[in-house]
Amino acid sequence: MLTLTLKELTTVPLEAEALCPDMLAGLSLEAIRALPVLLGKRSLRLDDFFSIEGEGGEDIEIRGDLVKVKWIGRGMTRGRIRVVGNAGMHLGAYMKGGSIEVTGNATDWVGGEMSGGSIHIAGNAGGQLGCAYRGSMSGMSGGTILVEGSAGIELGMRMKRGLIAVRGPVRDFAGLQMKGGTIVLMSGAELRTGAWMIRGTIISMKPLRLLPTFSHACDYNPMFLGVYSKHLAKLGFSIPHDVHDGTYRRYTGDAAVPGKGELLVWQPR
Amino acid sequence: MSCTLGEVKNRADFIIYWGGNPAECHPRHFTRYTLTPKGKFIPRGRKDRTMVLVDIRETMSAKAADIFLQVRPGKDFEMLSILRALVKGQRVSPEGVAETGLKLEQLQDLVNRMKAAKFGVLFFGMGLSMTRGKHMNSAAALTLAAELNAFTKFVAMPMRGHGNVTGADVIMRYTTSFPFGIHMGRGYPRFNPGEYSTIDLLVRGDNDATLVLGADPGATMPKPAIEHLKRTPTIVLDPKVTHTSRLSRVHITTAATGITAPGTVYRMDEIPLPLSPPLKSPYPTDEEVMRRIREAVQRKEPWYPVKSDAPQMV
Amino acid sequence: MLRIRNGKVYDPAHNVNGEVRDVCIADGKIVADVDASARTIDATGMIVFPGGVDVHTHIGGAALNFARGLIPEQHRKATPIFHSPERRAGIIGTTPTTFATGYVYAGMGWTTANEAAVPVLSAKHTHEELHDTPIIDKTCCVLMANNELVLDLLENDEHERAKEVVAWYVWAAKAYGIKAVNPGGVAGWKWGKDCKGLSDVVPGYKKVTPSKIVAALAQIADDLKLPHPVHLHCNNLGAPGNASTTIETMKVLEGRRAHLAHLQYHAYGGDDWFTMRSAAVEIAEHFNANPNLTCDAGAVLFGNTVTVTADGPWQHLLYQLTGRKWGNLDVENETGCGVVPYVYKEKNVVNAVQWAVGLELLLLITDPWRICLTTDHPNGATFWRYPEIVQLLMSFEFRKEQLKQFPDSTLSRMVLPELTREYTLGEIATITSAGPARTLGLTQKGHLGVGADADIAIYNESTDVAKMFAHPRYVLKGGEVIVEEGELRKSGLGRQFAVKPQYDESIEDYLRPLFQQHYTMSFENYPVSCERVHGLEVQPCNYCGTPHR
Repeated sequence: MLTLTLKELTTVPLEAEALCPDMLAGLSLEAIRALPVLLGKRSLRLDDFFSIEGEGGEDIEIRGDLVKVKWIGRGMTRGRIRVVGNAGMHLGAYMKGGSIEVTGNATDWVGGEMSGGSIHIAGNAGGQLGCAYRGSMSGMSGGTILVEGSAGIELGMRMKRGLIAVRGPVRDFAGLQMKGGTIVLMSGAELRTGAWMIRGTIISMKPLRLLPTFSHACDYNPMFLGVYSKHLAKLGFSIPHDVHDGTYRRYTGDAAVPGKGELLVWQPR
Repeated sequence: MSCTLGEVKNRADFIIYWGGNPAECHPRHFTRYTLTPKGKFIPRGRKDRTMVLVDIRETMSAKAADIFLQVRPGKDFEMLSILRALVKGQRVSPEGVAETGLKLEQLQDLVNRMKAAKFGVLFFGMGLSMTRGKHMNSAAALTLAAELNAFTKFVAMPMRGHGNVTGADVIMRYTTSFPFGIHMGRGYPRFNPGEYSTIDLLVRGDNDATLVLGADPGATMPKPAIEHLKRTPTIVLDPKVTHTSRLSRVHITTAATGITAPGTVYRMDEIPLPLSPPLKSPYPTDEEVMRRIREAVQRKEPWYPVKSDAPQMV
Repeated sequence: MLRIRNGKVYDPAHNVNGEVRDVCIADGKIVADVDASARTIDATGMIVFPGGVDVHTHIGGAALNFARGLIPEQHRKATPIFHSPERRAGIIGTTPTTFATGYVYAGMGWTTANEAAVPVLSAKHTHEELHDTPIIDKTCCVLMANNELVLDLLENDEHERAKEVVAWYVWAAKAYGIKAVNPGGVAGWKWGKDCKGLSDVVPGYKKVTPSKIVAALAQIADDLKLPHPVHLHCNNLGAPGNASTTIETMKVLEGRRAHLAHLQYHAYGGDDWFTMRSAAVEIAEHFNANPNLTCDAGAVLFGNTVTVTADGPWQHLLYQLTGRKWGNLDVENETGCGVVPYVYKEKNVVNAVQWAVGLELLLLITDPWRICLTTDHPNGATFWRYPEIVQLLMSFEFRKEQLKQFPDSTLSRMVLPELTREYTLGEIATITSAGPARTLGLTQKGHLGVGADADIAIYNESTDVAKMFAHPRYVLKGGEVIVEEGELRKSGLGRQFAVKPQYDESIEDYLRPLFQQHYTMSFENYPVSCERVHGLEVQPCNYCGTPHR
């Protein structure tokens, strides 16, 4: 295992796409230390900012308050990154495989346009989780993002496939312009959930303040949730599906588009 | 879906102002472009035009409007969503309509009028673009106008704030591809509003120096941003001493563009207007100061970016 | 002073076709000889072309700049230009930044470009962008065919005054020629309508029709002796079956000069999108028979792009077809403009036909002097993909290879598989440089005769044509070596050419009150002042009615 420890928190963010198993595997410790990172406009060495121990491989642990370290695990396809502390912007952006685990908080753009792999945040996440970058037609197209704390605005914007589950509260525009995939909100969301959604599923365990362009379709217990809840339970998110416990109220929308997305809101018995 | 202001003057028979108070903030808008002037295809001027005002309170502009629709604060996005759905004959929830503070009949009437217009225009102000939902509110207004073109001619235009914001936007676009929120650190332009936009950079404290040109962030930005401006070196170029000047390390007094310095200003519809100053100033122009700063920087050890292979890097 | 020694020279204007000889340069011009002290570039084993001339491209102005802002997702994936001692930072991609545009054109041996669509109202802005487009020389054409002041005059048959007004506008914009986009159709678009047929009355008028506008503007360009004829984007662009409109337009022109822009988009048969097919054969036949006409290909290549045109109604249709983004920007009294990002896909039958039609026209139009290589950048493809088209034109085998990807049902809609013609290097030099220069009436461009501007591209001769034309070994602009050993070494400002056609100054007395009424800018502020056009050179209006060659 390779262990990197941040020496001190910088003012200007550090762009460190080198912190990725695909880049580090097979390199000698010397080569790893010399990898380039950008502080503002200056290209410096990885060991200018991190003390590095262990050996190069696909298993990486990064320690410290990395809130200003951007692009950790960018485009990774394999291996494992464990961040002991907080993580900066664009964590796991364009990720295709492997796993990232953060013990603290993460900021904006976690898993931006990712297509596979999994990200687990023990603390809170920022805005634009699994989002499309500006102008892109689609956001996240596969993989899993799990957040134990809260999440910010525009969660899963334009997502096409994959799963996002958040245990804490979520802010405005969750599932904005969503095209597919599943979002699970254990503590609900603030406003405008599912705005402009075309397809896809948003499941909420708490009542939602709906947009006027969503309409009530029926109350039921969808078959697929039985299968889905088993999968989610393995990930530590248990959602009820038994008819004895209650039903899901299904809303369709967004009629402004018009779209065929679904919002499933749990109604306990 | 935009046009120059002359198009509005010559053609618009249906005008909506949303979240703006032109009577007080853009006083010449009504008389020069939108409401009272006679246009080529609007022979009777005001009589040939219908004006709708959508706002959260009855401002001075409401007096000029034929129809005033008072939307509940924070419900603009909802109201725009309803309009988009109604334009396409979709169903909307009655409770949702009630929450906007308006009746379904009023909204349906607005949609009917929009569709029946020969040439409609939607001006949206900061009451829409700077309240909860921000860029999504603007996007909703623009999309509504775009979709109305399936029925008639309809355009939308933001009412920008003061200063030459449009000019900066235009020039950044042709030199870097992007209008604002640009990062040059890697030696080429990158764009990500929210990450590289000024307010977000300052609030997070991601920069270690600031140069302020033609703006007064010290008066308008949130507290953490102002604190950061104080903490790090800030340079202000301005004809007068601003709030930002007071918290900056350096203030350079410059000639006032349009009054004592020549230049070009871009109208909100991106039409450039040459400025010929009537007076002379003892102070240098912004351009002169920037040129001299640049020359001084060039005398230092040059810095060039290391070419990196980072496609799709934002 | 400079001598390019022993290169294989292609100079179609002087019937030089691959002769090994020297080219000498002094003071930015080609000269007969230079003395022995001159720097020598050894061009043994290399081919020497006059610098490329682009007759129809969109490289600057409000519309293109609008497009730039609409597609951040494309910029993100595009090739960046890193800030360096020689170069300003920028982004290439589908709508390159101004500085990138200059570097990339010059970097592939093109030294002159004609920005094909400028509204007079925002011409000041266009000139700012062209100033910031380094190295290359520029011209631009002003949009006239939907100008309401002109249409009003045509409505009342006031042709003489219309001529004066057009001449005034051309000089006010510091432009080089007249552009006509979808005559009457864009004016109709301002009411959400269009003008598809040549004899449809323009919405808002009683008598004016597209054919009347076309004939009038072509006549005006001839009467004003403009070096470049009316630059015409015909009605009904992009629609299946529009070939008949195009052929009708050729008839309306009746021997007057005209340049038909991006002819590919106007050469379709069939009745709807399901039956759409190539009509290149019919179009080429009529075109070949009308020596008064020139055209450019407007070829399409597969891939991502963004379409930018003053043709507002077409862009709205394209938006409805793609369901993606759409930008529209109408300019008072003068024109409209639309922007829609688009992807040309091999699997899309319509796109495949478009791809074929561009090449078919290039192969079926017999006189290479009358058709120029363009992609209507960025509409059909970006200009930096021209070498790919050259490769397709020069090799029948390569085309056959490319055609294999299409099913028979697609192939049956084109004639490309039957066309065996292969372009020679001399013909390539004609369609990329000599021809467009002559079409534009730029006598100092597109050839290597004594007195010409020393704009020269030197390529390592290679069988890999696409690579060869994408990466010249040397490029000279005005005698200065810009590209050396395949690398951009220098960058300077280019010039801008304009014309001042003759008009009676009293026309301003007629225009001033109309401005008050129709425009929102003061009459005095409207014209572009000469000081604002950096490197302005006024070219004479002395076209004397000799046939094209």
